[in-house]
Amino acid sequence: MTNPAARAVTIEGMNKFYGGFHALKDINLTVDPGEKVVVCGPSGSGKSTMIRCINRLEEHNSGLIEVLGTPLNDDVGNIDEIRREVGMVFQHFNLFPHMTVLENCVLAPMLVRKTPRAQAEAAAMKYLEKVRIPEQAQKYPGQLSGGQQQRVAIARSLCMGPKIMLFDEPTSALDPEMISEVLDVMVSLASDGMTMICVTHEMGFARRVADRVIFMDRGEIVETADPETFFTAPKNERTQQFLAQVTGH
Amino acid sequence: MSDVARHAVSGQPAPPGIGERLRKDYFRSPQQALISILGLGFFAWILWTVANWAIFSAVFDGDASPEECRAASGACWTVIAQRWRIILFGLYPFEEQWRSALACVTVVAMVVLSCLPSSWTGKRLAAIWLIGTALFYVLMKGGLLGMPLIGEERWGGLALTLFIFVTTCLIGFPLSIVLALLRRSELPVISKGIGLFIDAVRSLPLLSILFAFAVVVPFMLPQWLQAGKLYRVIFGAALFFAAYQAEIIRGGMQGVATGQSEAAKSLGLGYWQRTSRILLPQAMRNALPATINQFVISFKETSLVIVVGFFEILASGNAAYGTGDWTFAYREVYAFIALIYFVFVFSLSRYGAYLERRMAVGEL
Ligand SMILES: Nc1ncnc2c1ncn2[C@@H]1O[C@H](COP(=O)(O)OP(=O)(O)OP(=O)(O)O)[C@@H](O)[C@H]1O
Ligand SMILES: [Mg+2]
Repeated sequence: MTNPAARAVTIEGMNKFYGGFHALKDINLTVDPGEKVVVCGPSGSGKSTMIRCINRLEEHNSGLIEVLGTPLNDDVGNIDEIRREVGMVFQHFNLFPHMTVLENCVLAPMLVRKTPRAQAEAAAMKYLEKVRIPEQAQKYPGQLSGGQQQRVAIARSLCMGPKIMLFDEPTSALDPEMISEVLDVMVSLASDGMTMICVTHEMGFARRVADRVIFMDRGEIVETADPETFFTAPKNERTQQFLAQVTGH
Repeated sequence: MSDVARHAVSGQPAPPGIGERLRKDYFRSPQQALISILGLGFFAWILWTVANWAIFSAVFDGDASPEECRAASGACWTVIAQRWRIILFGLYPFEEQWRSALACVTVVAMVVLSCLPSSWTGKRLAAIWLIGTALFYVLMKGGLLGMPLIGEERWGGLALTLFIFVTTCLIGFPLSIVLALLRRSELPVISKGIGLFIDAVRSLPLLSILFAFAVVVPFMLPQWLQAGKLYRVIFGAALFFAAYQAEIIRGGMQGVATGQSEAAKSLGLGYWQRTSRILLPQAMRNALPATINQFVISFKETSLVIVVGFFEILASGNAAYGTGDWTFAYREVYAFIALIYFVFVFSLSRYGAYLERRMAVGEL
């Protein structure tokens, strides 16, 4: 076993309840630096809940979560530290509508990392170029298309210089013709060596990028496999059913 | 495509002229024509009556005697010419009234400045209001820079109205934000307690709150905690303002999607950063129309301080016609005061409408 501190994410025996509802059951998962993990599963299976536990948008009830060697517990300092190093991209973008694209990007570096404005803006422009929309920097989010907004959201996260990126169905609120522009950005991010945990049903993306695919159902991790095995020879019956559904049509 | 271009392309007739439109909007049927004519006649009659009283038959001579005024059938603006200083400055000493006038200008400048979009950062607004209020206070109170000391009990008229309004907002507004935030607290003791407090204040008439702070509080607080009566009354008005405004802001906060604060959290922003940069700016935008409304209401409610013995503009107006020879000229005085209220309140609400249009464009 490798040194846990060298891992990006360690989850051991983690449980999460919503009132009496057991949303996550005994989750065990480790992610190494640079690894790309794709999480899939039917609606309500707990995919969002699991990755939201990693940056404490949801609080787990028992078990251990360690991110970059820092345990996630009630220590607010730890939570802050982890959030600084973990970026997250949401299904509905969640850009700040009252700020320009550029302001969205420089806000956290300036407030949290105390980066001087000039430097933060230079970095923001660099990442906006990476997601291929530097020309939109002065616009407001409401003036952009969904695909553009999601790319801004990715750039905004990258501006904090995260070591890990979480994606929660980043393309499922997008019109079909905009999905690929966002996936392209994610692919290029993956090839830069970013550690990524992506909840997505884009199986093409999973095949191309993932080191591992995780299938969840009813709050449990049911199957973990490399993409090749996962798509061609899934062991679990529920995985087979799910794959038949998403690829069958 | 512009209108003209569309007509040119489609060959449609040009839009109807003004006569055509009048006919269509007001004289479509005999009944409609009758109502239009009656309404128009009524409107013209009111306009004529007012104009006749206020302008054509009015006395404008500033030195006319009360007898000359009484002989005229219209308004007697002489009373305003002779008594405007009482209306605007109340019992403030005559030779020092320039200070009171300057103080009013300060308040207006402060409000105008804070209405400019370029000053909408927490720091700038706070600076404008703190400096403005301090300047107002020094001008009014004096006691330094060779300006004689003039106690609050001698302040009056428009200056007092503006002072009460501005300080009520200055205390009440930040307080309302604190209350609104506490009401969202995760600790039920705090959120329930604050909710109870807000509801309690809102269920009392402002009048009774003002009385309580003017008359009852002195018996309950130790001497060293008692500010002057004016400040106690202002504090009461501010509490009242804050209770209503807190609910307005809370409504605005509910309109901010939870994803906003999640995104801010995931970027590492702390509670205060999330609150001040993400939550409040958006909540205030949502709450803007209701907030302007609340400002307008509290401006008008300043007149209630009469009942605890302060000579704000309305009370000063009463004094302006109530003494000496001008008791018959109360209409003119009230018309003058109404005009002053109108100028302030109307500008406020026009400004609110401008902001809403701006927001609709998404610029804000
Ligand atoms: N705040 C909450 N309170 C109560 N139950 C919740 C809450 N959030 C999620 N749940 C429940 O937990 C379960 C897992 O939800 P989760 O959002 O993680 O599913 P998901 O796999 O992301 O689904 P989807 O594909 O629809 O996004 C669901 O049954 C959901 O109803
Ligand atoms: Mg989900």
